[in-house]
Amino acid sequence: VATTLDRLERTWSPPAGLMGWLTAVNHRTVGLRYITTALILFLIAGAQALVIRLQLAQPGLSILSPEAYNQVFTMHGTTMMFLFAVPVMEGIGIYLVPLMIGARDMAFPRLNAFGYWVYLIAALTLYWSFLVGSAPDGGWFAYVPLTGPEYSQGLNIDYYVTAITFLEIAALVAAVELIVTIFKLRAPGMAIHRMPLFVWAILVMAFMIVFAMPPLMVGSVMLALDRMVGTHFFNVAQGGDPLLWQHLFWFFGHPEVYIVLIPALGVVSSIVATFTRRAVIGYTPIVLSIVSIGLLSFGLWVHHMYTTGLPALGENFFAAASMMIAIPSGIQIFAWIATIWEGKPVWRTPFLFVMGFLIIFVLGGITGVMVASVPFDAQVHDTYFVVAHFHYVLIGGSVFPLLGGLHYWFPKAIGKLPSERLGRWSFWLLFLGFNIAFFPMHITGFLGMPRRVYTYLPGLGWDVLNLVSTIGAFVFALGALVFAYNMVRSARHGPLADDNPWGAGTLEWATSSPPPPYNFRVVPEVRSREPLWEQERWWASEPPAERQASIVADPEAGRRETPGTSLLDGRVMTRVVLPGPSLWPLGLAIAVAITFIGSLISLWLVPIGALLTYVAIVGWTWPNRARPQAEVNVVAAETPDPQREPVAGSEAPMWWGIVMLIVIETTVFATLITSYFYLSNGAAEWPLGGFSPPDLLLPTINLGVLLLSGGAMYWGDRGIHQGNQRRLIIGLLISFALGVVFLVLKYIEYSDNDYLWDTNAYGSVVWTITGFHSAHVIALLLKTLTVLVLAWQGFFTEKRNLGVEVNGFYWQFVVVVWLPLYAVLYLAPRWL
Amino acid sequence: VREGLGSVTRSVWRSNRWQPVVAWFTALLLSGCAGAPSALAPRGPNAQRIADLWWLMLALGSAVYLVVVALFFYGAFRRQADASLSTKRLTWAFIGVGGVAVPLVILLTVLILSARTSGAVSALAQPSDVQITVIGHQYWWEIHYPDEQVITANEIHIPVGQPVALTLSSQDVIHSFWVPELHGKLDLLPGNTNTLVIEADQPGTYRGICAEFCGPQHALMQLLVVAQEPTQFAAWLDAQRQLAREPADETLRRGQQIFLGSGCSYCHAIQGVAPPAANGAVGPDLTHVASRSTIAGAVFPNNRGNLSGWIVDPQGMKPGNKMPPTRLNGPDLLALVAYLESLK
Repeated sequence: VATTLDRLERTWSPPAGLMGWLTAVNHRTVGLRYITTALILFLIAGAQALVIRLQLAQPGLSILSPEAYNQVFTMHGTTMMFLFAVPVMEGIGIYLVPLMIGARDMAFPRLNAFGYWVYLIAALTLYWSFLVGSAPDGGWFAYVPLTGPEYSQGLNIDYYVTAITFLEIAALVAAVELIVTIFKLRAPGMAIHRMPLFVWAILVMAFMIVFAMPPLMVGSVMLALDRMVGTHFFNVAQGGDPLLWQHLFWFFGHPEVYIVLIPALGVVSSIVATFTRRAVIGYTPIVLSIVSIGLLSFGLWVHHMYTTGLPALGENFFAAASMMIAIPSGIQIFAWIATIWEGKPVWRTPFLFVMGFLIIFVLGGITGVMVASVPFDAQVHDTYFVVAHFHYVLIGGSVFPLLGGLHYWFPKAIGKLPSERLGRWSFWLLFLGFNIAFFPMHITGFLGMPRRVYTYLPGLGWDVLNLVSTIGAFVFALGALVFAYNMVRSARHGPLADDNPWGAGTLEWATSSPPPPYNFRVVPEVRSREPLWEQERWWASEPPAERQASIVADPEAGRRETPGTSLLDGRVMTRVVLPGPSLWPLGLAIAVAITFIGSLISLWLVPIGALLTYVAIVGWTWPNRARPQAEVNVVAAETPDPQREPVAGSEAPMWWGIVMLIVIETTVFATLITSYFYLSNGAAEWPLGGFSPPDLLLPTINLGVLLLSGGAMYWGDRGIHQGNQRRLIIGLLISFALGVVFLVLKYIEYSDNDYLWDTNAYGSVVWTITGFHSAHVIALLLKTLTVLVLAWQGFFTEKRNLGVEVNGFYWQFVVVVWLPLYAVLYLAPRWL
Repeated sequence: VREGLGSVTRSVWRSNRWQPVVAWFTALLLSGCAGAPSALAPRGPNAQRIADLWWLMLALGSAVYLVVVALFFYGAFRRQADASLSTKRLTWAFIGVGGVAVPLVILLTVLILSARTSGAVSALAQPSDVQITVIGHQYWWEIHYPDEQVITANEIHIPVGQPVALTLSSQDVIHSFWVPELHGKLDLLPGNTNTLVIEADQPGTYRGICAEFCGPQHALMQLLVVAQEPTQFAAWLDAQRQLAREPADETLRRGQQIFLGSGCSYCHAIQGVAPPAANGAVGPDLTHVASRSTIAGAVFPNNRGNLSGWIVDPQGMKPGNKMPPTRLNGPDLLALVAYLESLK
């Protein structure tokens, strides 16, 4: 046993010192970084809320100037939604999911680290703008035209669009990471119907991020282009439409609310099960509820836009959808009540937070049904009633479970028990403070007080209610400080926690507190939903010899391995080899940051950053000669034969990663196409400005060129699968050349255009779609170049060709996606 | 439809033993907060319909809320010896009835009532006599009575008891027109128009508020709706239709010269004295500024002190608004203010 442990320890421990800190990729390190950073930002945004409440305590106060107030409330909302809520939930997922599913790490540990660095740089950028006094001041929703080039001239909104676009990369990376990990790295035997409810919640959250973030990125890039290079997406005078921004923003923004709610529901399920000492009743209905909330939440965005004067029929459809989302929420509430009814609740701090969640969130849900009503919303929209409503939903639905969860998992992560006494104090202060602060706001809103006002006139009946809200906010803040003090103090002086201090049933409690770098001495084999309650305690010791090979108890020296299992039933399929510490994630994050955030300094930094990004990606993915199999990433282990073979196809996490990337990209292109038709439908003539529709001859030839390049790529790819290295090289060369021809013809076509991106909204959307697709072709050519070099060196073989396969897969996507884009750009203007 | 829903809702409430609670709540909203532009103290039929819908939703919502919270606490504190849900069928019935069936019935009820209210308060349902155009500016409201050749700002006069159609649009960013006592809000969009029909049941002055964040002075972008008896309204229109009064004495003539010579007329029109700018108004039309009860977006009472202060230091009074300060010596300022005060 000692030798096994030593080898595990040696393999999984990060290097010491600063280098170890910068190169760390372990999911628990990255997860804790996410959580800590997000909590610090939560406190900062909370402090901003206190300043807001001070300013509003009485009418006519001038603690802040109007401009400063707008920056503060914008940063409060932006921080809470983008920098706190989503990252903290992803952080908890990143920390807990591998522990809960019995994996040693996540599917792409370096990508994980990269995501964190991106998040950190985005947060630092936004707070840099705050420190220098030009923070975003257009609200977290940044409605155009107020945030457009005409009405917001400073850098404020530029910080917003660049940092937010950049930040969403982190959200998407973490989402892909979580999805692939949950799909492919579950412990042997953890069939999909045995996954903890929390893992289900994280899975649904991750899928929602994949579909919700791309429209926001498209919108924020459009706004950045409007501001920086003079496009007209949102400029009415040139055929743009401000409501397009609202559609894009809320198509993201409404799911966003559920993105931060659903993981919290997973936390509630975990706490309810542990503190009632029984499995949650209604596993299947709860899973279906979570999934249907995820789906429904994409059909509600228009309820943020009732007052823009959309057609009444459409509005009533969205009202119905908005109200119906109460049903899956109701199912979960009643499932938990049934569980509590059947079990015997232990009233410790985490359960108190669940109680707080229920009391607050249900009230927020009910006012949510009310504001879904179109005429009622006309009265309360953009008033303090809505401020009250969404704080009930977000703080009650998300923050209370989060704090309960932090208290609950604290002993696992830190190895010390938090103080129950301080925990209770913090809960009651938070609970009372919250209700004192936010309940009166329902009434303040009815009395006519709008949101986002830096002050108000005396004599309108708002004074007393505002003062009460301010007092409540400070009580709430005191509760948050007590909570933070409890965490800090207990981390230093708390009593040591054993493996499972609460007597929970899920796998994260099967290992030591805190877990070792390799998570589990033996990867457990799962036969039930609560294995610690229902299975014998065999995971603490050496597993039976016959299981040892299949569950990777003892990886080969120096290789980080975890079992790869099948998607539905959790059968062991492969051993996944995971990469170790690396500096490339930080390097790539810096390169991408230069591309995005550099645009604030000079647009020239954008191509420079893109080039550095390419260099970093090549450095990252270049095979490590010292460990020739590492880059293959996946090794088959269906038989315990040491003579392993590289594996490709859907058994490889990388394959799933590319599938998810393609899903994200498809969403991006779909958003662009939708925007094109949105603008053309609103236009009296299309193309705008009396230009004739584009010629068909050259683009159609070019379409053929691109299709041929896809064929050549496929031919080469098939070649290497038969071990034909020559055919691979020829195929790559032909498709590379055809790709270059495509770009050259494109250049000829567009240099002949009589309109540019800044001519009118038609020019903006056409140039952007074409430019975005051409950027993909350029990126693919560069990527193919590195594959060509490796192919030249004879790196790829009949068995080892995942790199070729993945490159080809993505190439085909870029070819296929051009078909609908061709139809939109060249055929649609003739038909419309 | 309007009477239908209102009376149904009202009869539910009149016959309900919860009425004292509602009365108390209403009393709190009305008396405790006198002067508030309250959506729950409706002064027009549309606001009334929405308030009726709210009280009904409040009743249903409170019932649901109390039942859920009570079930939670009963379940959490019940003795283990009590009757239990332990048969599987009972558990499923509990989740099915509590989580699906009951909410479905309640939600469908709310949805139908909401859709009916929605139809009743929409502009399409209410043919209107008086037409008014409202154009939003950072941070004031330009008001036109197109049929009457009347232009004013920040103060809308309407006849009592008649539906009035407001055509809403914006000159710059998005604003939202909201007079809580009369109706819900509707956005003012650049490049597009929306129509809102308001009606007041009784004479009075109702505060309107910009409800869409529109920049640094969003907070102080307000307006007044003055509902008058039809005869008074007609008289008001007649007065507003006149050109500006000629200066009656030397001081007022000097005031007019200062108005024309100090840059005021770049942004402000006075009919018959200073024509409006060709490409849309920049500042409010001042032809009858003295007839308005407030200045600066219904924020300050229209009196000599505020008017003088506003001319000399508008950024001190409402920081971030678009009006630059005007340097004037004492006598000039007094003359200008006297002239403006003469523009009844």
